[in-house]
Amino acid sequence: MLSSTASASSTGDPGRVEIARPETACGPGKVCPVCVGTCGYSYTEWVDSGFYPEGTKSAAMLGLYGRCFSVVELNYTWYQMARAEPLTRMVENAPPHLLFTAKLTRTMTHERDPNWREQLALYRQGIEPLRKRLVAVLIQLPPDFDRSLANRNYLAALLDGLSELPLAVEFRHHSWAVDSVFAELSRRRVTLVTVDVPALPGLFPALDVVTNPDLFYGRFHGRNREGWRSGNMQKKFNYDYSVEELRAWCVGYLPTIAARADRGILLFNNHVRAQAPRNAAKLATILAEFGSGERI
Amino acid sequence: MSQGFRARERTVLHFNVADFAVAVERVEDCRLRQRPLLIAPLQAARAVVYDMSEEAYREGVRKGMPLRQATRICRGAVVLPPRAGLYHKAMLAFFKELQGYSPLIECGQADGHFFADVTGTHRLYGPAPDIGWRVRRQARTGLGINPIWTLGTSKLVAKVASRLVKPVGEYIVTAGEEEAFLAPLPVAVLPGLSVRELEQLRHFQLTTIGALAGLSRHQLMVPFGSRCDYLHDISRGIDDTAVCRPSTATATVDYEHIFADDSNDQEEVEGVVAALVSRAGSSLRGRQQVARRIGIWLRYSDGGPVIRQASCKNGTSGDFLLNTMALAALQRAWTRRTRIRSCRLVCDRLQRQSPQLRLFPEQEGRELREKKVLTAMDALRSRFGHEVIGIGRRIAKGGRQE
Repeated sequence: MLSSTASASSTGDPGRVEIARPETACGPGKVCPVCVGTCGYSYTEWVDSGFYPEGTKSAAMLGLYGRCFSVVELNYTWYQMARAEPLTRMVENAPPHLLFTAKLTRTMTHERDPNWREQLALYRQGIEPLRKRLVAVLIQLPPDFDRSLANRNYLAALLDGLSELPLAVEFRHHSWAVDSVFAELSRRRVTLVTVDVPALPGLFPALDVVTNPDLFYGRFHGRNREGWRSGNMQKKFNYDYSVEELRAWCVGYLPTIAARADRGILLFNNHVRAQAPRNAAKLATILAEFGSGERI
Repeated sequence: MSQGFRARERTVLHFNVADFAVAVERVEDCRLRQRPLLIAPLQAARAVVYDMSEEAYREGVRKGMPLRQATRICRGAVVLPPRAGLYHKAMLAFFKELQGYSPLIECGQADGHFFADVTGTHRLYGPAPDIGWRVRRQARTGLGINPIWTLGTSKLVAKVASRLVKPVGEYIVTAGEEEAFLAPLPVAVLPGLSVRELEQLRHFQLTTIGALAGLSRHQLMVPFGSRCDYLHDISRGIDDTAVCRPSTATATVDYEHIFADDSNDQEEVEGVVAALVSRAGSSLRGRQQVARRIGIWLRYSDGGPVIRQASCKNGTSGDFLLNTMALAALQRAWTRRTRIRSCRLVCDRLQRQSPQLRLFPEQEGRELREKKVLTAMDALRSRFGHEVIGIGRRIAKGGRQE
């Protein structure tokens, strides 16, 4: 049980909970701060769904988001190359406690460009304004990216090219779930993303493997089996986690991963109808309850 | 804003297929991808470049450049004649792809430019950047073309963004970022500015959009007069222009002829106008519409277009009256001896053909006979093509045409 190995308490920052780690992990008194948040924050749909107040303009969303959470994943950097000027303006206007993760651009993951090394250089420059508040660069690999020799070489080159940045890798293909991959990620201190996805064949499984002692990174995509391969985001990420499911996840995974990393982030990608921020808030409450002595 | 009503932040996607004619030709024949390509009318001594590939552009070829000069600059280029029908078909195919995401789509004239207003579609199709990415992916896999896509809160911002990423790429301008996005850019990227206005801006050392935005309406009014409001707004990224869905009811009928050799021969130019009228008339009758105004756009060898119009109160779709109106407009437009490069005929102020019959049938005599001739010609054309039959002109004594 989670309560037997760790306990949690909420801190001043919204959506941030400190999980006490067992003494055997890193010595007595150590805690693992865990930030919960969402993948993306700028959704018009979240105004309609009541997460943002009625009439909220896009420019005001990050400030409002920061009232509830302390970390956010920037997913627009997947659609377009990160550009320093707009990111500088965004960071200047963001709440001071807010941390960021940023997705690697699709031209280096899903739609590999022949000149991907140039893209890599552009990305490093573009992401620079986030540097002090950057928790990780997320390398999300596509479902058809299997563990072939060519792909292994490519991923190694990609990790080399980004080695100066904190990195997290999310696999979608099950063939990567092998010890040699985890060992290599550990050697490079690259975080393996812990995913929560529908139980479908071929998908990378949910694992409690920690490859980077600096950070664990969890992504909750929802468990919508029917919508997952529909090709429509609104179906794929339409899922509302119940309290029981989130409690069960905490019991099953959190003790292990929190014990092996100095800090963690847990992000919800089920953005449809603002289920992501609601579920994130729900998870933060569950973690905080745990800190107050309740058993999870 | 009125009470109880709140305007939603707009989300406008712009798709732009760079060098559209070249892109379509390369889909038709993939061997053309390996070489620079020029699209220009062939077998013409003074043909000009209609479109060119990126490789040719980099070597210095530009649209409107004489073909001889272009082939001298870009020696290895393949030259193909323009195929308007093919480009129109490609536009339609792309339009259909977009229709899956928005009912509000605006497109240009066979130029590969599209605007889609996706405001409020997020519940159905997800966030706007995802729509942009999906449409591009579908265009690449289904049509073989690779459009630029940009996202902004207005057509203006999306259009300017597309000019920064040519020939391929994407650009998302977040809502609220418009002014900061535009400020460092050169004023030349703003759409809708005339050459004279750009010269004036240069004269005042207003080289960036930010510098222009630093001036008030009153300050801009002195040199730019009534254009001050437009300049003031676009420099701040303000643009309320709606994305206009093409509607048969309000659309124009538009045909253009580019002379193989620039011409100032009256007989040739009037013959071209008659041919354009014939096509426009046929199109109007097919749509059961009448035009109340005809515009003639002449482009001379040395400069921009001259546009003049002629109108009739009741509207017509008959070639005879349309031709009279077109010739009147031509006479107004053609005031110089300089040779003409192209002639465009635009029928607008369209309305539905009235089903009402004349009160006294005897008034219809000539009109009825003309109508019968045109109906017969339309029937022949629909079966054997437009070129199969045309209306001749009689040369009266003294050389006057009738």
